[in-house]
Amino acid sequence: MSGTASTGAYTAADVVVRPAPRPAMLTYARLDLRRQLRDRFGMFFVVGLPTFMYLVFGLGSDDAVGSGNVAMYVMISMASYGAVTATTGVAGSAATEQVMGWGRQLGLTPMRPLAFVAAKAGIAMAVAAVPVTLIFVIGAATGARGSWSDWVLAAAVVWFGSALFAIYGLAICLVFRGSNAPGIASGMIVVMAFLGNVFTPMDGLMLDLGRLTPLYGYAALARYPLTEGWLPVGGQDPLWLPVANVLAWTVIFSLLAMWGVRRTRART
Amino acid sequence: MSTPAIHATGLRKQFRQSDGTPLVAVDDVDLTIQPGEIVAFLGPNGAGKTTTVDMLLGLTRPDAGTVEVYGMEPGAAIRAGRVSAVMQTGGLLRDFTVEETVRAIAALHGRTDRVDAVIERARLTELAGRRVEACSGGEQQRLKFALALVPDPDLVILDEPTTGMDTGARQEFWQTMRADAALGRTIVFATHYLAEADEFAERTVLMSRGRIVHDAPTADVRAAYGGRTVTFRPPPDVVGADGIDAAWLQRVEQVLAPLGVTGLEVSAASLEAAFLALTAEAPAGSTELIGAAR
Repeated sequence: MSGTASTGAYTAADVVVRPAPRPAMLTYARLDLRRQLRDRFGMFFVVGLPTFMYLVFGLGSDDAVGSGNVAMYVMISMASYGAVTATTGVAGSAATEQVMGWGRQLGLTPMRPLAFVAAKAGIAMAVAAVPVTLIFVIGAATGARGSWSDWVLAAAVVWFGSALFAIYGLAICLVFRGSNAPGIASGMIVVMAFLGNVFTPMDGLMLDLGRLTPLYGYAALARYPLTEGWLPVGGQDPLWLPVANVLAWTVIFSLLAMWGVRRTRART
Repeated sequence: MSTPAIHATGLRKQFRQSDGTPLVAVDDVDLTIQPGEIVAFLGPNGAGKTTTVDMLLGLTRPDAGTVEVYGMEPGAAIRAGRVSAVMQTGGLLRDFTVEETVRAIAALHGRTDRVDAVIERARLTELAGRRVEACSGGEQQRLKFALALVPDPDLVILDEPTTGMDTGARQEFWQTMRADAALGRTIVFATHYLAEADEFAERTVLMSRGRIVHDAPTADVRAAYGGRTVTFRPPPDVVGADGIDAAWLQRVEQVLAPLGVTGLEVSAASLEAAFLALTAEAPAGSTELIGAAR
């Protein structure tokens, strides 16, 4: 109110110091999370499809892989597909909401942009936890086998690593603006999952190309505790390969997202 | 005098058009609005109303000039909950219900206690459980109005608030607004409906091509326009494919002149056209037959 100090006379409205209301971010995040979770179409790809794929390809496959079995291998792959679909969708729709006008509505509230980013990151990780938990529980109940450290490390890498694809979702939706951008981003995840050796084991030229695609490094890292880099078709990836893949794509997606943000700002 | 609700000086905003040429959307606008006033921003589409509103709300940074809202920078006034708005370009999330939308925005204002009150005030009680995507344009507009009321602001800015409403809904909306204004809220609204400004605003600011061309009590603006328009149907034989026969119009004008009728005008019967005539800076009492050749 320092700006009014020189005007002398105040009306009642000027003098009454309003209680400074604090944004209840948790309430907002809870409402938003509930909205995301009841999106049946979106949740089909996040939970339904990977669970189904595990049941088809993983269930009862007891052949040995590394320190566990094939069921474990498929379980980790499918959980990682579900988790990245979740983070891509949440982050992508967050960007789209901003561009499509809800952002202007939020701009009229006292919420700081950083609080919004934090809330959305929390929601993305919460949604990603759903397929990881569900598929790991189903796996544990139906004969997926591995050492205890395989379970813990794989779950941690799948869950935390899915954050990389929040950046991807953000980038795609900032670059392809429009209400169907989150759909495009999620659809491309399916293609990248095939290329990234997530759905079916690849070999030859496709495997060589696939090693360069974004989901390869992340899924290979998640399976590394189990496989130590050994591939179903034979051969072994050194640890640096998936690490380098993840780092490179983190940089690429971040640059793309920053370019997208700059482009969005330039319009106003 | 108390601190003005809005005090803007020398506002200017230029955009680059898609073909690269600059467009001055708002050009040297000065505006002071006192607490308790009800002011209409009237102008055709593209007059610079929305850009001005955006600058008053701090959503667009002016190229030049200053804006103070209750003596504060606009962003600070928004954070303090003193100003709120219904924006033309504001969006809603289609898969929230009406009530969830209000709850979400109320949470961000830290005013969850206001949810029931604003839903009732915007007459959304019946629609509370409905998804936003299932609401009509007018109902969504009412929801945006409810969101604007959440912080219990002293000033509400409404940009084309009745877009998408039919005549009945429009009437009802303005009744709600009138009740709100009676409680002492300052209301500024942008519209291209002459009738809305006429019925509701005490003061009308006319905008055209980015400038304020007239700023006066609404009654004065109405007087400048002539208060009422008389329309009549010409006999069919003088209406050709290229408009009304000019010679016939000349005769009508001669016949009407002794009755004090001036400014005979032939145009499409829209308020937009009427407004354009008003802002065309035609000299008062001109007998020129605007559009006679059309």
